[in-house]
Amino acid sequence: MADVQLIGVHKAYGATAVVKGISLRIESGEFISLLGPSGCGKTTTLRMIAGLETLDAGTISIGGELVDSEKGHVPPEKRALGMVFQSYAVWPHKSVAENVAYPLLLQRKPSSEIAQRVTQALEWVRLGAFAQRMPSQLSGGQLQRVAIARALVANPRVLLLDEPLSNLDAALREELRGEIAALRARLGTTMIFVTHDQHEALALSDRVAVMHQGVIEQIDSPQKIYQSPSTPFVAGFVGGANRLEGRVEGRSFICGAHTFELPERVTAVDGPATLAVRAEELELGSTGPSLPLLARLFLGSATEFRFTLGESVLRVVGPARDVKPGESVRVALQHARLYPR
Amino acid sequence: MTALPLHAKRGVGRGEGPARLFTLLLATALAFFFGVPLCLLLWQANAPGLVWSEVWLAPESLQALAGTLITSIGAAAFAFTIAVPLALLIARTELPLRGPLKAIFTLPAALPPFILGMGWVSLANPRAGLLNLLLGAGTFDIYGKLGISFVLGTAGLPLVFLPTLAALSRLDSSLEEAARLSGASPLRTLLSISLPLALPAALSGTALCFLFAASAFGVPYLLGVTASPPTPTLTTRIYGEILMGQGGLPRAVVLSLELLVLAAFVLIGSRALAKRGEVRLSSGKGSSLRPMSLGRWRVPLASMSVVLAVVLVVLPLLAVALTSVQPVWGQLSGLSAKHWSGVLGNPRTIDATLRSLGLAAAAAGLVTALGLGIATTRRRSLELLSGAPYAIPGTVLALALLIAFSRDLRFVLFDRFALVLALGNSVWMLLVAYTIKHLAFGARNAADGLAQVDGTLAEAARLSGASPLRAFFDATLPQLRAPLVAAFLVTFLTCVTELTLSVLLIPTGRDVLGTLLFELQSYADPGSAAVIACAFVMLVLVLQFAQAVVARKRAH
Repeated sequence: MADVQLIGVHKAYGATAVVKGISLRIESGEFISLLGPSGCGKTTTLRMIAGLETLDAGTISIGGELVDSEKGHVPPEKRALGMVFQSYAVWPHKSVAENVAYPLLLQRKPSSEIAQRVTQALEWVRLGAFAQRMPSQLSGGQLQRVAIARALVANPRVLLLDEPLSNLDAALREELRGEIAALRARLGTTMIFVTHDQHEALALSDRVAVMHQGVIEQIDSPQKIYQSPSTPFVAGFVGGANRLEGRVEGRSFICGAHTFELPERVTAVDGPATLAVRAEELELGSTGPSLPLLARLFLGSATEFRFTLGESVLRVVGPARDVKPGESVRVALQHARLYPR
Repeated sequence: MTALPLHAKRGVGRGEGPARLFTLLLATALAFFFGVPLCLLLWQANAPGLVWSEVWLAPESLQALAGTLITSIGAAAFAFTIAVPLALLIARTELPLRGPLKAIFTLPAALPPFILGMGWVSLANPRAGLLNLLLGAGTFDIYGKLGISFVLGTAGLPLVFLPTLAALSRLDSSLEEAARLSGASPLRTLLSISLPLALPAALSGTALCFLFAASAFGVPYLLGVTASPPTPTLTTRIYGEILMGQGGLPRAVVLSLELLVLAAFVLIGSRALAKRGEVRLSSGKGSSLRPMSLGRWRVPLASMSVVLAVVLVVLPLLAVALTSVQPVWGQLSGLSAKHWSGVLGNPRTIDATLRSLGLAAAAAGLVTALGLGIATTRRRSLELLSGAPYAIPGTVLALALLIAFSRDLRFVLFDRFALVLALGNSVWMLLVAYTIKHLAFGARNAADGLAQVDGTLAEAARLSGASPLRAFFDATLPQLRAPLVAAFLVTFLTCVTELTLSVLLIPTGRDVLGTLLFELQSYADPGSAAVIACAFVMLVLVLQFAQAVVARKRAH
């Protein structure tokens, strides 16, 4: 277990900067997620912590030891980390037990200790019976469990997880998500989890760092990220809010030809602003601007209504209503967040 | 309509009437020009009074078998030892000059091994070789088993190098990264992860290299027959027996079977290994590859690779060039263009060149067209059958064709076709042989190309109103241009200086470039042979350069 500290980390590939001055402190034993769309720099950040990429500027320390700076670079094999890859990366020419034993073998542990710790690690991921199997005989979910056991077997200072669930189907993903949470509670290892899936990030983490275009937009507890996103991007990415460009005048938000009344609990300052409102925070009823319905999508527990709002589309989720596309309905804000520009 | 998995069987309307006729036609042609001759070869071996064991166990046959086994194992071992480390370096590390090195080590694949052999004769003939002139007579001797292994190993290097390189480049780099995170150093990662995963491909290539060396004729003839003591191989013995005429023919047939059995075993082994490699590699998803840093080994390893490239490939080719401008072979006495003017103005050379170019172009055209035809039938059996002639040693194939279509034996089965198919002792026989032998190039390229073409392209054309044939020509065929051009060029280049088939099948009194090269080098005039070899190497280099330029332009 160790803490990880990034200070002003920069990374560019040729002329394109991928990571632009990230500073981040991960406490010992903490589970942190790097969340963001593809190309936001989250995987590059993780790979720099792993030592698979070198940084251009800044410093990275693990457990108080400087591992990467402009002056020097500790190679990945000397960092005592564990890593789980999206593509499993289970060596197809080694059996399950040989895969898991590899890190211990490199540490020249006695074979009795290796055997005992491999058995234990395989028990952690419920693969005790599969030790002698070859990877080609395992399913995707089982392969990823082998990878997790291999990453944890040598008591790494930090466990790095690079989209470990993305290659699995939905049911397996949920199952393995639960197992990662259980392992984490049991072992207390510091974990850094890279994902583009907000549900995974919110469900597992102590803190979530939302990344966008190479910078951290917000870093907070999952509850705070969800309830009070600090930028329109975070509001849009986590919780999928509608983002409307317009201006505030008194208690009104004017968006093109339409005017929304702002609810009482929203504090407003006059001037241009971005309004973020989640689909479930809008209400169809008797107040608010009248908007033409574009489409109606039945979601099961609720119904999604899509309205034309100027050039964009406004999504509303609520109880089913008998409206047909083309008809107009009044839409009112129940809650919203304002970001002055 | 029910939802059948149609994708696997999208051909030019597989199963429709005309298509079935087309398939039947191709199968018949293959059977007639390949299956029947092979059967006749087997039938000949069953002639009364011919005891196989007697022929196989005769001292000179055992000596030939030993020659083949030793030189082939030597060549395969040499190719493996050089090619695998090179492939690891070029595919997975930051070795400088990777591009040029890859091109140079691939070059032998485009050259007849005979030309490399000529280069080494010029360099390391014990008395007259350039190296021995410089370092003292007898320092190097290229003749004999060691020399044959070395030259064939160099010529067969790409057979190991290219599949190993391909396997390594398909390797998911996270497999290596996981090892690094587990605490393995870069070298340890290369040896315990990358190498074992590429090993099946490397071993399968090594088996093919063995097969290539066992089937080789030109190099063992050049370096074995005149060696002291002479080093016979199965192919050179078969050639010798055939030259002896009717008396030797039965023995040649029985020795051919021996070679055929050897080839079959090796081929089956190679296939099995290649398949194992496929299974191992397909599990990775393949992300972008990050080459490993070599640290302080960068310069020493790069220098070693460059030296190898120069010694193995560049040096023998330079020696051929030098020989072509040496006034007297085996003497360092100034330069002269007399061989060049002599060869280029010689009507015999011109005649042979024109014949070779014509035959090669015709064979390449036929191979491409027939290969496309075979691929469009999407019949796996037909595809496999079309690959068989290439796997069979050229000497054996030539002998089978000789037996089937020479005047003496034709009447046995083909009485009615006797007038139509007077192939014996004619140039047409060479065309048949070249085409049959290299059919695999066409079928393989076309099949690989077709497999990559999105089947919905043709389906979209069909729904736009095109007939199956029209949809094939308008939507599918244009996508196949690159693989078909590649098939044509490879076949053309291989046939222009083809030696093994030509030597046995050429009509008396005529020449092709291969036989001319063989005759000039073996008996009369190495200087003139070097001129022809030089011209051919230049042709190959120009074509490869042009191809690279076209490929680069297309990539941009």
